[in-house]
Amino acid sequence: MEVNRKKLINLFIENISNAILHRILEKAVEDDVIRRYYDKEFLNSFEIAKKYREKINPVDDKLPDSSEIKGIIIKRVNNELKIRISKGYKNIDLSLVESAANTILSELKIN
Amino acid sequence: MVILVGKVSKGTLMDQIYIPKERPLGFEIGTHVIIKPTFEEEEIKPVYCNIDKLESVKVMVMQKIFSELDFADNIIITGSFLEKGFQFNDIDVILIDGRKIDSNKIELNLGRLLGLEFHITVLDYPSLLKGLETDPLYQAMLSRYIAKKRIIMKYKNEINYKVLDLHLLKSKPLMENFDYLTGNQKYGMTRNLIAIFLFLNNRKVSNEAINNEIKKLLKEETENIKQNVINKAIFLKEYKGLYNKIFSRILDGVKNGSE
Repeated sequence: MEVNRKKLINLFIENISNAILHRILEKAVEDDVIRRYYDKEFLNSFEIAKKYREKINPVDDKLPDSSEIKGIIIKRVNNELKIRISKGYKNIDLSLVESAANTILSELKIN
Repeated sequence: MVILVGKVSKGTLMDQIYIPKERPLGFEIGTHVIIKPTFEEEEIKPVYCNIDKLESVKVMVMQKIFSELDFADNIIITGSFLEKGFQFNDIDVILIDGRKIDSNKIELNLGRLLGLEFHITVLDYPSLLKGLETDPLYQAMLSRYIAKKRIIMKYKNEINYKVLDLHLLKSKPLMENFDYLTGNQKYGMTRNLIAIFLFLNNRKVSNEAINNEIKKLLKEETENIKQNVINKAIFLKEYKGLYNKIFSRILDGVKNGSE
C-alpha cells in the first residue's frame, strides 16, 4: 500500500512514542528480576517504527523536520505518563523522556 | 556438516578405519578429521507437553536444536513451530541457564545451520518462574512445549498491574497500524490482548482458551486474523472496546495497589 510522507511520519511517531513509553514504564517497575526479563520487550513498537523510518526520505540523513517530530513525540509520551501518574503510578521519571527520545531518534537517524 | 560412519578394523602395525574412495567434499587426502565412537552420542528423549503429533521433519529439526544447544541446563521449544503445518515464522527457543549466553550469536548460528529463523530467549530458572507468575503470554506459550528436561512449574499468578500495563502496550500498535500490519503481527497483538484479559479474570491462559475467546469477544476466526482477511470495521470496534476496558482496569488496579 502506497503511503504518503505525512502519514508515514505519523505512523512513525505513534510507534516510537510507544517504544519510549515502554522504556520509561519499564524503569518504574520495582522488581529487578522482572526488569531483567523485559530487556527485549520494547522492541515490538521499535521494530515497526524502524520499518516506517526506512521509508521516510532522506533515509540516511537527519530529517529536516526532526525537531518538530521530537516535540510531538515528547508531548505524546508525557501525556501518556501523566495519565498514569494521575492514577497513582509511582516511580515515573518524566525527566527521562527527552533523553530517551534523543537516544532513540539518533539511532534511527532522525536528529 | 557431513558425517561418515566407519568401522575400526584390525591392521598389522596400526588399526584403521576405511572410508569410500567416492566421498563427500571435506574428506580430501590430508584433511584432519575427528574420530569418536557413535555410542557416545547421547540420545535425547524430550518431554512433550500437550503435543499430540509433530511432523517428522520438525522432529529432526528439534533433535538438531537439542544437540547444538546441549550445553544449556534446559532447552524449551515453543510457539507456532509446534502447531500443525509449516506456517511458522520463526522457532521460539527458551534456554534455561544461569550463565550469560549471547542469544544473538545462537540465533545466527542456528539460522546458518538450519536455514530457519530463530528467536532465542535466555533466562535463568527464577526469571522463568517470574515470567510465568506475571506474564499471561508466557503462560500461553508454556501451555505447549517440548523440552530437554521436564520443567517443574510451581507458581502462583501474581497480578502486577504495572507489568500488565507494559504487556498491554504490545497490543497497542494494532489500532493505529491496522492497514500496514501482516496477519501474523495482528494475531500476535490480539493474542497478547486476550491473554491479559484471561489472566486478569483468573482464567486458564492456553492457546485453545485464547483462540476461543478471540472468536467470542472479537467476533473473528483466528485463522482469518493470521491470513489477514478480517472484517475491519467489526474487529477494530471490538478490539478497541476491549483494549480500553482492560486499560481502565489496569489503571484502577495501579490506583488500588497490586492484588
